Amino acid sequence: MKYIKNALLIILGLYIFVLGFVFIDVGDFRPLVSLFKNIQSDSALKVVDFSIDKPIDEKPKPAPNLDRNPYFGDLHVHTKYSFDAYVFGVTASPDDAYRYAKGEGIKHPLGYEMKLREPLDFYSVTDHGFYMGMIQAYADTSTKISKNDFAKPFHNINRLDNLTVESAGQRSNIFSSVLAGTVTQPYPDWHPKIIKAYLTRNTQAALKSFDYDVHKSAWADVARSANEHNDPGHFTTFIGYEFTTSTNIEGGNLHRNVIFESSKASVRPWTRIDSINPEDLWTWQDRLREKGIDTIAMPHNSNGSNGQMFEMETFYGNAITPEYSEKRMRNEPIVEITQVKGTSDTHPLLSPDDEWADFEIMDVRVGSRPPTFSKPSGSYVREAYLNGLTMEFTRQGNPYKFGLIGSSDTHTGGGAFEESNYWSKVGLLDGDPENRGSVPLAEENVERLKEYMRAFNQPLSTVNLDQGEYSNTGFTQWGASGLAAVWAEENTRESIFNAFRRKETFATTGSRIAVRFFAGYDLSSIGLNSESLVQEAYKKGVTMGSDLLQSKDSIPEFIVWAQKDKNGAPLQRVQIIKGWIDSNSGRPKEKVFDVVCSDGLQPDPISKRCPDNGAKVNINDCSISNNVGSTELKAIWKDPEFVHMDKSFYYVRVLENPTCRWSTWDAIKSGYKPREDLHETIQERAWSSPIWYIPEPTDVDVIPLGGTLELRDLN
Amino acid sequence: MKYKILVFFIVGFFIYLIDIGLNSYDEKKIYISDQEILSLVAAWKSQVGRNPNDDEITRIINNLVEEEILYREALSLGLDKEDRIIKRRLAQKISFLKQESISEAPSYEDLVNYYKTNKEKYFIDSTYTFMHYFFSADNDSENRSYKGYENLIIDLTIESDPFFLGKTFVDLSLREIENNFGNNFSRNFENVELNSWLGPFESAFGHHIIYVRNVKEGAYPNINQIIQQIEVDFLLNQKDAALENYLNEIRSEYKIYINPDLQI
Repeated sequence: MKYIKNALLIILGLYIFVLGFVFIDVGDFRPLVSLFKNIQSDSALKVVDFSIDKPIDEKPKPAPNLDRNPYFGDLHVHTKYSFDAYVFGVTASPDDAYRYAKGEGIKHPLGYEMKLREPLDFYSVTDHGFYMGMIQAYADTSTKISKNDFAKPFHNINRLDNLTVESAGQRSNIFSSVLAGTVTQPYPDWHPKIIKAYLTRNTQAALKSFDYDVHKSAWADVARSANEHNDPGHFTTFIGYEFTTSTNIEGGNLHRNVIFESSKASVRPWTRIDSINPEDLWTWQDRLREKGIDTIAMPHNSNGSNGQMFEMETFYGNAITPEYSEKRMRNEPIVEITQVKGTSDTHPLLSPDDEWADFEIMDVRVGSRPPTFSKPSGSYVREAYLNGLTMEFTRQGNPYKFGLIGSSDTHTGGGAFEESNYWSKVGLLDGDPENRGSVPLAEENVERLKEYMRAFNQPLSTVNLDQGEYSNTGFTQWGASGLAAVWAEENTRESIFNAFRRKETFATTGSRIAVRFFAGYDLSSIGLNSESLVQEAYKKGVTMGSDLLQSKDSIPEFIVWAQKDKNGAPLQRVQIIKGWIDSNSGRPKEKVFDVVCSDGLQPDPISKRCPDNGAKVNINDCSISNNVGSTELKAIWKDPEFVHMDKSFYYVRVLENPTCRWSTWDAIKSGYKPREDLHETIQERAWSSPIWYIPEPTDVDVIPLGGTLELRDLN
Repeated sequence: MKYKILVFFIVGFFIYLIDIGLNSYDEKKIYISDQEILSLVAAWKSQVGRNPNDDEITRIINNLVEEEILYREALSLGLDKEDRIIKRRLAQKISFLKQESISEAPSYEDLVNYYKTNKEKYFIDSTYTFMHYFFSADNDSENRSYKGYENLIIDLTIESDPFFLGKTFVDLSLREIENNFGNNFSRNFENVELNSWLGPFESAFGHHIIYVRNVKEGAYPNINQIIQQIEVDFLLNQKDAALENYLNEIRSEYKIYINPDLQI
């Protein structure tokens, strides 16, 4: 009896101890099992080969090009398996999405056809990992799980009267409630399911509303579809998903897309239910890599992260260490700089001297309701590069030494990349000009929109302007962007994935501008008009995404070569954006140099700006001036302000002549004038990944006073 | 006898009244589950950051009730009838149902027949290996390319510009050539003469003088090399066919009237 009493006391004591442990852990309200870090989701480490037994394809494959070809693709595409895409009325499957990428037309939820002007070279369907396939199962009343209470709100979205553009409010609300976790309730901690979740090492099994079989079969279908559509030499696919996480308190967006290198992938995606901390994602990636499965994660929409995507500290507020920096760069070598929800190059408040900084700025936190301002600092790529240098300066390593891509983030299966043929991204919610705010609302729609938006915490949902009352729900800040581009030997998984790893990538806003970028010490010995320019530049220099090491007193030279989109506007100028740590003051600095101008014009030596080339846009019909601008721009450039000991980076920005923005096209097509509070025109652009200049280590690198970092010997 | 029939009618009439009464009673009753309210309250809380007060709860429930009332009234007025989005959604639902209903593995004969009837789909395109001289549109490409061509024919010397995508292209299909050059450039390769300088032809970037070294003629692959692909396509096709069969069966029951004089 006494023993039993003691045993009970010990068990009680242990239980209290564990509970105490739970509360100490910073603001983590997920079930108990999730606190057993790194072991809790071993089930996501099981590897499955999803390849179909496709025999060796007899189709001839173009020979690999050692000088590398540019390939354009989209690595951020949602289909019906995403909880929100389903809520947005999307029924396109991964197969539909891949067919779209190959050039076939598919249906928008509102019924019209979406079709690319030119097929893409590579594509990855990246549905939200968490709850993948679940919402679809809730809404389908023939499934077992849909009989549960938590599935009821989703029955409602399928109610006949709700499948309309007017149901925007309720749809947005369901979207927010899924993100906020109201349908992801765990069982109480004493429940046997919790123990089962622990024993099977699958946190998700601890949730009332989760059905592992439904989830796995959705993921298997995503993987099957990717493998089936992969066509080496002609069209490349990647198995992928989105790790949709955010900070608990401010809702700072920390979303990342994860893609797999081959036909093999984990049995299920690692999701925000396993952990909301991206560092745990990297641990999972590292452990998969030990098993021979390489993956990369690509952060996106840093612009809507409220400064938390590129912080100066870790997720839990600790100092960044060299180990953290290495781990982050090993797992996320590239970042999505532009997409439908705005561009994250820089913000006018961060780069006041950059005349092109005010470009497709989306200044609210992703998914916030009511829309809430997103702090620019920590949210933009250029500042992250600078902060990375600063952290290198303080011997913390550089966690922000990433390459650049763009992608669409479409939720309809097919991205809208052209200003003149735009359907935004969330299906029923923004598939027509009235709802996305580019033309005035019809009278009967004003009250309805207001009423819905009032119910969903956005009381100010319209704005009165010259031509009438417009919807003002945030879609005006979205746009027809962007594309991921790589330099690769051939259009195969291996070749393109290696390009991601090398960071030999560039991003565009949907236009197929292509750009080469090299740096070295003897590049001027290559003739700019030599046929072997590229071959020699690869031999004598480094290309985008690489480091250029200091070479005594030599001054680096850069070669940049840009070609316009064959169906797009001519090029206006090529710029090199330099960022550096001034060794004298320790301050981060940035500067934009125009290095080559269209039409043979020369940049002004003092302002570093090209003269106006005179390109005009006719706002009444969107026609542009003929015979102004260039089909290609090419230059050798030396940094006139180069300092040997300054840590620096250089990346290229290519600008097209101005053209009409989608909102202007929408207005004109409907017989209105463009809305006066939006930009009428846009300069489509491309950004290369940077080249980092690495000076020899000097005593200038310091440990700040009061620093808590371990001293490390740089040699 | 007559009396019995009367009783029968009277009883029937009462049953009819009771039936009407019960049904209308049911129709005007709205059940709202605890779960429905709790999930709305939870959603409210997640956005606002606190629990709703009594007034707010009343408002949430009122909204729910009003929505349900409006929904039912809309249905009884038949507002769902002529809504294209509702129509499309329902059509989509039944299409999915009809498409899901087959799952038999096809026989080899099925696949052979499928391949024979869909041969065109599996045709492997011709590919071209060529080099070119490029004259940039930024630099008077038309005149320079024609002069260049003359020089090339006379003494094999030519001054051209480097092309962004390179000088030599190996095994490109017409579609790939079009992607690289634009402006219908690929049509210059149809029935192209081998091993001679041709052009100049205009692309989206300027003018080109081309020299085609090799053409691999397109061909139909052996069925065994692509049997898996055919199986995948066959199954997809079956799905579509299931829907089509269903449509064909049912279509004959409908008569369709369209105004022949409509001006569009």
